[in-house]
Amino acid sequence: MTIPADLKYTKEHEWVRIEGDIATVGITDHAQEALGDIVFVETPEIGRVVDAGEAYAVVESVKAVSDVFAPVAGEVIEINEALEGQPELINTDPYGAGWIAKVKMSGATSELLSDDEYTLFTEE
Amino acid sequence: MSKLLKTPLYAAHVALNGKIVPFAGYELPVQYADGALKEYTAVRNGEAGIFDITHMGQVRVSGPESLAFLQYVTTNDVAKLVDGQVQYSALLNVHGTFVDDITTYKIADAHYYLCINAANRHKDVAHLQVEAANFDVIVSDESDSTTLLALQGAKAQAALQPLLQMSLDDIGYYKFAVTTLDGHEIIVSRTGYTGEDGFEIYLPNALAEKVWQALLDNGAVPIGLAARDMLRTEMGYALYGHEIHDGVTPVEARLMWITKLDKGDFIGKAAVAARKAEGPQQRLIAIKLTGRGIPREHYKVWVDGVESGEVTSGMHSPMAGGVALAYVKPEHAEQGDISVDIRGKLIPAERTGLPFVRSNVKK
Repeated sequence: MTIPADLKYTKEHEWVRIEGDIATVGITDHAQEALGDIVFVETPEIGRVVDAGEAYAVVESVKAVSDVFAPVAGEVIEINEALEGQPELINTDPYGAGWIAKVKMSGATSELLSDDEYTLFTEE
Repeated sequence: MSKLLKTPLYAAHVALNGKIVPFAGYELPVQYADGALKEYTAVRNGEAGIFDITHMGQVRVSGPESLAFLQYVTTNDVAKLVDGQVQYSALLNVHGTFVDDITTYKIADAHYYLCINAANRHKDVAHLQVEAANFDVIVSDESDSTTLLALQGAKAQAALQPLLQMSLDDIGYYKFAVTTLDGHEIIVSRTGYTGEDGFEIYLPNALAEKVWQALLDNGAVPIGLAARDMLRTEMGYALYGHEIHDGVTPVEARLMWITKLDKGDFIGKAAVAARKAEGPQQRLIAIKLTGRGIPREHYKVWVDGVESGEVTSGMHSPMAGGVALAYVKPEHAEQGDISVDIRGKLIPAERTGLPFVRSNVKK
């Protein structure tokens, strides 16, 4: 299981990469591993304003439907359209090609963990 | 909740990194290390998959009145069976609703074998025992001593043949043979729950690990519960607790083809005949989403702007997309604009035939 050092994490197993006021968000390697083969992703509408901690996307594995919660508040400005045809990108490259959305941050965030803190959290 | 049971292959599942979950009172693998999609693909696309379905129950029926007994407790016409033939059938209660769906094996005159659902085992056996008191038959529950493997896919026969002295070419679709392996009697039937060619193999528990390992060595891929459910749903096969349960009769479930009202009396017959005459209260249909999404069990189905029923089994089929079996009001079974409520959005769908993908069974 990989946990890159340059990202922040939530206790709901999302990751966020913050560059200026733009946050790229997705689910962690730990999350995709636990879910198994992902066969469908419902991405948010572009322009939707989300609160930190709000369910903004849905990932579905063969057997389960799971909400994905926004690590940061803001406006969805871009979604990963590749996930429509290739939801398995979340399994194969959760921190790269499997990103879910980009959010223009408005300030508030969920409790964000460092890579070390998230590692400890997943080991608890 | 009572303690979960383990099959004789539990250690083998763990050794293969099976992800163990509780299912029908047993600890069984939902998937192995490579995941459900790869397992599904192996079975659908030309390999052989091996499934531990030991949780299923087996009941032996013997004695001079076996035929009369089975005609009375099952829905299908047992008199039509020849030795070595299998029949899909059901047990009903007096209300005409399902106790279980089963398969009936005719071993010989006065000697039959039933395969029943795991979750219904004790209920079924009690139901059979009550009725058996009125017939000269012996009903014995052999579930605890029997391991059941399913071997499914284009290469199933090639994987199994080397273990046996008899030729599998001699077993046709829905036929079986009683043969021996290492001095033990086993049953091999050309049946399954996947829509692929293949076999179900009934073994004494003592042979379980040896046969499992031999089939793996012959190239079979272990398959968990998740892929098994994908494969059966793509065929539109009914599953107890989903399409069939004690709230519906064969009229609603579209299982009148296994319910022979002209064969003489059987439990539930009068109620089914009445339901057939008055018309079903709901109808099972097959649908395919035309919009994006996965129709899941219990999602509501809408027709022409009204809620009409709900999904009983649904999935994302790698070949057919979002597909489902659903009960709807009878007037909506064949007409009206249909959609599925997925998280508050009505996603359009269309009615379709079954199976959802092509079956490769060797009929």
